[in-house]
Amino acid sequence: MAMVQPRNLKYRVWCARVGLWAFLAVTLFPFFMIISISFRAGNFATGSLIPENPSLEHWSLALGIPWVNADGSITEPFFPVLTWLWNSIKVAFFSSALILILSTSSAYAFARLRFRFREHMLTAMMILQMFPAVLALVAIHALFEKIGHYLPWLGLNSLSAVTISYIGGLALHIWLIKGYFETIDNSLEEAAAIDGATPWQAFRLVLLPLSVPILAVVFILAFITAIGEYPVASVLLHSMDKLTLAVGSRQYLNPQNYLWGDFAAAAILSGLPITIIFVLCQRWIVGGLTAGGVKG
Amino acid sequence: MAEVKLSGISKSYDGGKTWVIKDVNLSINDGEFVAFVGPSGCGKSTLLRMICGLEDITSGELSIKGERVNDLSPHERHVGMVFQSYALYPHMTVEKNMAFGLKLAKADESVIDQRVNDAARMLQLETFLPRKPKALSGGQRQRVAIGRSIVQQPSVFLFDEPLSNLDVSLRVQMRQELAGLHRRLKTTSIYVTHDQVEAMTLADRIVVLSPLGPKDSTNLEQVGPPLELYNRPANMFVAGFIGSPQMNFLDGHLESSGTERAVITLKTGDTVEVNCDAHSAKAGDKVFVGIRPEHISAQFSSMDNNESGKNRILTKIVAEELLGSESFIYCHHEAALGAIIIRVMEITSKPHDQSLSVSLPPKCCHLFNEEGTAFPRAGLPEVF
Ligand SMILES: Nc1ncnc2c1ncn2[C@@H]1O[C@H](COP(=O)(O)OP(=O)(O)O)[C@@H](O)[C@H]1O
Ligand SMILES: [Mg+2]
Repeated sequence: MAMVQPRNLKYRVWCARVGLWAFLAVTLFPFFMIISISFRAGNFATGSLIPENPSLEHWSLALGIPWVNADGSITEPFFPVLTWLWNSIKVAFFSSALILILSTSSAYAFARLRFRFREHMLTAMMILQMFPAVLALVAIHALFEKIGHYLPWLGLNSLSAVTISYIGGLALHIWLIKGYFETIDNSLEEAAAIDGATPWQAFRLVLLPLSVPILAVVFILAFITAIGEYPVASVLLHSMDKLTLAVGSRQYLNPQNYLWGDFAAAAILSGLPITIIFVLCQRWIVGGLTAGGVKG
Repeated sequence: MAEVKLSGISKSYDGGKTWVIKDVNLSINDGEFVAFVGPSGCGKSTLLRMICGLEDITSGELSIKGERVNDLSPHERHVGMVFQSYALYPHMTVEKNMAFGLKLAKADESVIDQRVNDAARMLQLETFLPRKPKALSGGQRQRVAIGRSIVQQPSVFLFDEPLSNLDVSLRVQMRQELAGLHRRLKTTSIYVTHDQVEAMTLADRIVVLSPLGPKDSTNLEQVGPPLELYNRPANMFVAGFIGSPQMNFLDGHLESSGTERAVITLKTGDTVEVNCDAHSAKAGDKVFVGIRPEHISAQFSSMDNNESGKNRILTKIVAEELLGSESFIYCHHEAALGAIIIRVMEITSKPHDQSLSVSLPPKCCHLFNEEGTAFPRAGLPEVF
């Protein structure tokens, strides 16, 4: 890079650096704060960033191990945090997988097939998606209550009900994948058809392998949304062992007794599956997959 | 090996309101190399894609090897297509790209290997087999696309402007390779191009298509061997499309006509005699005289001779293009549609605005009626 730069560039680079550091501090501060609270003895929301008397009390309880206090008394874990975490992971994994399958296939239809009301359906989906899911809480509750009469495993207070209701957030993903499909030249699938591929084979062997990056992105997005979702899960689930971590961790915050330390430990735990999924999926998010295939 | 027959093929994208292709009748012989040419947007690709099966046929009948294939999928038609954009599978190696179709058909590993290697050898792609398309140059990519068709051993090859994404020198080289390939494989081939040089050099027969006007009954203008299209264009569209730079046209009316020669009075009053059989028209009919740039002779020596006599018209130089080996001079004349272009072998610059007397040899002139249909040319050797 030998581009000639204006003379005051150095000064501007420093300005940008200072700005970026300030921005980083603002975003990272709450995160460090939560880590600090989770290692702080007692349940205090405020205090110095480096805990004065660090303790593993909250982490021990969160992981389900009874904690021996300094005076010899034993504190039993209040809540089944690990069960909640496992519930969250199950719900998030299965709902994201279903979202991925459904949105990929509908995106294919919207991107490649011609049918009546195609444009209208796309617009309708976008508009419906603009209403927050919270507005439908009553309906969702009533729906799964009714379903529960016939299929108990899909009724209220079941994880499958939560999984299914999360699929409702499909439209955004359909748009996302459809947009990506449309960047892939149709002639690739035409070539496959001439080579003797059925539409399904052309989809699976040509279009899908080229769409892996967007599929990974959609999976991660759906996963993050499902892990953090509160309103729907809180309405559908009520027994202690069925809660997701997002709903369960609110149990620590009852008005008489804010258990900030335990809440912080649970909050960090809920970030764990997201991090793992992200690290796993990251290697699929690469550019240039379609390079060299077509020249337009 | 297969012959392809198109009868009354038409295409409309909007259910019959407007037509892109109308009533194309054409019969392509076994092993023949046919080129579809026409200006951009005239429906060449659409016609090819209908033959391929990527686009449905609105009306008419298409048969390959005598069998009606209107409702068969591309694969069932046994056609191979090479796209302008190459359309290689970017995530597969060259080898996998070529083997894809055979793998789908569950062919034997040994058969696949042999066919892929044969095709690779024929196209000099052996060293590139393990590479992905993005690590290839444009010419190599297009060769892979051709190879992918070859291994399937289709009965008809379809090419949609396969060379138009390549640079000029590569295009010339690939043109030679395609010609060689066809000589070896002798597979019926249909080749779409807007480049008439490609069509003239590669094709046994050329099919000229024109953009469909609202009143036209078909956009098939003429079918014939390259030189026949050059020497006996059926109408002004073909006359203007084949040949570069394009044919000059002069506006006039018929003075007298016979089976061997006709005399035309141009709008400017000049008279031109042409060797065409215009006895079907009567004196006074509006006609157009056509003459190619390479057939006009300019008299620079007699430039001061301002007389405009028989088959000699006086023009004014407006521009020139000096190409080294030859020059094109653009002249103005009142009766001409557009500028008159003259090819001369002289390579020295001529002063602009100077008048130039040019002569139009009667043997080389074409004659068209008001609708643009050509009158038969007389006195041409039969070989054309
Ligand atoms: N899917 C389509 N829907 C409507 N019109 C189309 C479609 N595809 C092509 N056309 C029209 O058909 C005409 C011919 O197109 P095409 O066959 O691509 O021309 P060419 O290959 O000769 O340049 C064009 O005028 C184009 O606008
Ligand atoms: Mg085209």
